[in-house]
Amino acid sequence: MDISALIDSLHPLEIKVLTTLGLRPSGTALGSEQLAGAAELEASQLSMAVEWLLAKSLITVQAETVTPIVSLTKIGEEYYQTASPIERVLTAAREATGTGKRLTIPDLQSQGGLDPSDVSKAVGRLKKEGVVLIIQGGCIETTGRPSPTAEALRTLLGEMHDSPKELKSFTEAHQEVIEDFAVKRGNAKEPFRVDERVARSFMLSPDGAGAAAQLLTQGVAEEVSQLTPDLLKDGSWRQTRLRKYTISLRPPRIGTGKKHPYREFLDTVKTKLVSMGFQEMRGALVETEFWDMDALFMPQFHPARDIHDVYFVKEPSHTTAVDEPFLSRVAKVHENGAETGSAGWGYSFDVHRAKRLVLRSQGTAVSARTLAASPHIPGKYFSIARCFRYDQVDATHATDFFQVEGIVLGEDINFRTLLGLLNLFAREVAQAKEVKFLPAYFPFTEPSVEMHVRHPRLGWMELGGAGLFRSEVTLPLGVTVPVIAWGLGLDRMAMVALGIHDIRELFTDNLELIRTTRGLF
Amino acid sequence: MPTITIFEDDLESLLTGEDGVDRGIPMAQLEEWLMLVKGELKGHNPETGELRIELQDSNRPDLWCCEGIARQIRIKQQGRLKPYAFFAETPKSPHHLIVKPGMEQVRPYVAACTAKGYRVTEKGLAQLIQTQEKLADIFGRKRKTVSIGIYQLRNITFPVTYELVKPDEVRFTPLGMETAMTLSEILMVHPKGLEYGPILAVQSLLPILRDAKAQPLSFPPIINSREIGEVRVGDDELFVEVTGTDLRMVILSLNIFAANLADRGATIEPVEVRYPTSTVLGKRVKTPQDFGKPATIRMKAIEQALGQELGETIVKQALEAYGYDVSVEKGSVKAKLPPYRHDLMHTMDVVEDVAMSRGYAKFTPVMPAQFTVGGLSAIEQLSDRSRELMVGLGFQEIISNILGSPDQYCRCMRLEGTEWGRTVEVDNVMSLSFSCLRQWMLPSLLRIEAASSRAFYPHRLFEAGDVAIPDGTHELGSRTETVIGALIAHATTHFSEIHSCLDVLCYYLGKAYSLEPMRHPSFLEGRAGRILVSGKPVGVIGEVHPEVLERWQIAMPVVAFDVNLSKLIALG
Repeated sequence: MDISALIDSLHPLEIKVLTTLGLRPSGTALGSEQLAGAAELEASQLSMAVEWLLAKSLITVQAETVTPIVSLTKIGEEYYQTASPIERVLTAAREATGTGKRLTIPDLQSQGGLDPSDVSKAVGRLKKEGVVLIIQGGCIETTGRPSPTAEALRTLLGEMHDSPKELKSFTEAHQEVIEDFAVKRGNAKEPFRVDERVARSFMLSPDGAGAAAQLLTQGVAEEVSQLTPDLLKDGSWRQTRLRKYTISLRPPRIGTGKKHPYREFLDTVKTKLVSMGFQEMRGALVETEFWDMDALFMPQFHPARDIHDVYFVKEPSHTTAVDEPFLSRVAKVHENGAETGSAGWGYSFDVHRAKRLVLRSQGTAVSARTLAASPHIPGKYFSIARCFRYDQVDATHATDFFQVEGIVLGEDINFRTLLGLLNLFAREVAQAKEVKFLPAYFPFTEPSVEMHVRHPRLGWMELGGAGLFRSEVTLPLGVTVPVIAWGLGLDRMAMVALGIHDIRELFTDNLELIRTTRGLF
Repeated sequence: MPTITIFEDDLESLLTGEDGVDRGIPMAQLEEWLMLVKGELKGHNPETGELRIELQDSNRPDLWCCEGIARQIRIKQQGRLKPYAFFAETPKSPHHLIVKPGMEQVRPYVAACTAKGYRVTEKGLAQLIQTQEKLADIFGRKRKTVSIGIYQLRNITFPVTYELVKPDEVRFTPLGMETAMTLSEILMVHPKGLEYGPILAVQSLLPILRDAKAQPLSFPPIINSREIGEVRVGDDELFVEVTGTDLRMVILSLNIFAANLADRGATIEPVEVRYPTSTVLGKRVKTPQDFGKPATIRMKAIEQALGQELGETIVKQALEAYGYDVSVEKGSVKAKLPPYRHDLMHTMDVVEDVAMSRGYAKFTPVMPAQFTVGGLSAIEQLSDRSRELMVGLGFQEIISNILGSPDQYCRCMRLEGTEWGRTVEVDNVMSLSFSCLRQWMLPSLLRIEAASSRAFYPHRLFEAGDVAIPDGTHELGSRTETVIGALIAHATTHFSEIHSCLDVLCYYLGKAYSLEPMRHPSFLEGRAGRILVSGKPVGVIGEVHPEVLERWQIAMPVVAFDVNLSKLIALG
């Protein structure tokens, strides 16, 4: 080791510790308190310097001793002022025995200032010591014997009232009492607390001894640690020796401004969709059943519309009106297909049900609203919509979550362009080259497709579902061209990218986790 | 939708078909074949041969059983469906089932048939029961519209009557019980009576099926008689009936059951149902019955939807290999569904079957070529810009559930009973923790702060996202608006620290703002303000009230603001 270079990089605090130890006979070890005293350092300064020197292997820990220290807790101080429960119980019992009065445990428990559980504990202890007897009728009577516990407690409270003491300084009997009445996990209401004080003593390592010797012979040069505006202004930095730093140490941690990793993931998806020519749609968190389901040709008896699948709004429960002509048209299509070329579901449509307010259960509701609002043709739309499902929350189900969905309208839309679009998603969103298309079922599309892709890191996974909107959906909303409806299931991809296994962690309240998660998408 | 359990060997024997050719398919290919039925393999136990399959299509109840899956695969392998003779036959002297007047008020329709020559095995019985349950539960909406009963044929004397009786008039021993009970006792005591009784809740007279000797067969849709209605392993003559509220659904369910039993080797004999008045299918209805009508579809429509010229031959082949009866007429195909299906609502349903029968892999993807301009909504752009600025100000973004509890959103914020404490509440609450929508952002931020006292300070947090604000004048009863909220927490934070951040945010958003002192229960009085832009309130800022911090169990001073971005946009 180059001792000169090392000495140049030492902090003034380190130099103080090294020279203090260097002045002592070789091999001397000093405890923290002695060292701080001799080096004239604050405890905090010493502990910093010691940590640095240990990291540089210039000093070593010669010995580490653990000393149990006993002190009074807040309750201990109270006992010192008002006497401990055991003393108070004993006093009351002696008084009763002396006057021949009947004294039961409930009597004691009803006395002011005593906790019922403290009373039971005290009586139990006194009975064990043979100080009291419990006679017929649950009455307590003293035997006249002294209580070692009560006496020990009185002594100990007095001794420790002023200052904490080492546990070892007490007699063995007293140590036992302390252990019995010390704060433990699950029992915080005790008068004593035993803390472990760790004392270390330090000595120079051979390198440290060399450095200390050199420091002592050459003396410490005048050093400045901070380059200041004053040094620059008058040019005195030229005559100043700037201390060299140990730059290999870890820097202090700082807080930073940062996007949430899951939002960041959704942002990249959003950017990709915009770059593919998709226009963003927005919708409301509260929707009517009409736009959430009826307009999507989901019959009102569909199981997914059950009270166990959708959150209903309490107040107001229904909307005042659903826009015409959509309501009447959709109602007819459900009933008999109207002019859509469909036979319809063949049931009588309940207009009141259509007005029921729900928490949006699917992002497709946003698409339905867009279809009814004279969309561009050709047109591409997407939304990243918060949706709500009536699910028990667990590792794979969240009550509210994001759905990435959209539509594509155009004269050239057909089954093959649907597959082409899905191919594009597979490549752009999942970086997948291999794609499998499976037949699927959604109430509002026909044909319907499920897309599985081979993700470069995750292997085969379901990326999304899509289909051509049924005419029963598009025609009543005034759209006469074919429309693709698509949805991407991205949470699994996000979870893997974020290294989490529980969907609830996407919305975690653990700030440390949010700060330290790196999104690698 | 439904998930069913079937067995490999059963599936294989059903694939064999009448010609005796073993068409067993390797398990490795099973998933591929399941594409024909929109089925997904959910589980496979190689030891028992048990397969768990989820069937997606809620309009294809015929596929919710081993027979139906095997049938669809078999048709594809054989190129066409071998027609079931019993649909075409008219037996000379069929058994009769007589429907008495009054049924139209309660449960109008019934269909029935007999099946002889298939000896029920243990696994076969389990499959029969599974099909019966799935049909009644999912297709029949928990027995409301369709329920099914199976009986030992030999115990029944025809004709069977379907009629109404008084609740205490008839007694029989129901399945699952040891003693005879009246219908009203069944409704009050029997588990099935308790479960399905509400279907008949308003009825003063109750439906019953009895044979010519007045022996009760069942009390539909609740429970069968134990004497006649308990099918056991080894029985080889069965009687099947379906009752319900929709004639076509009732007959379709029987058609499916009859086809399934026929696939297992039974000979089906139809039953003639005699109604007191005419139904849409007449007064005397032979069941099972193929009541479907062919649909004529233009070739153009099919080819346009699929984006590929296929020609009539290919379309005909594809549909036949999927079970259709097809004839080609100039430029059109006339396609009729097999009798166990009734899900053809629209041309597109046929189009999908063409695609599935050919296999989706046969269609080459084509990129949609028309040009469109992409872009974000104005509110998303504003939100993104605000988020960038907050990150620049050193804030960590967070993200929260929107569905939360009144405790978080109101009580902990000291907002109960105030104008700020109104939220959109859920009617069918599952858990109080998820029972209302957030009406502002600050509780979402405090949620993180409360959980993160051990994360090193200072804490600078923000979230941009949607809230729902109750509004009686809005058609949905609430407005969904996008807000941004920010919070600073550390030992020496104070109003001006968060004020500086708001100042920077507003400066770069180009919004001149002013603060107006306000009283707000969530903030310390004298240290809270309304944020005004063009004289209109757009948010609040202040030092969070110590009592709020106490309620959240936060032991660190907190300052915060909440700005409504939707309102900023509306102001232009």
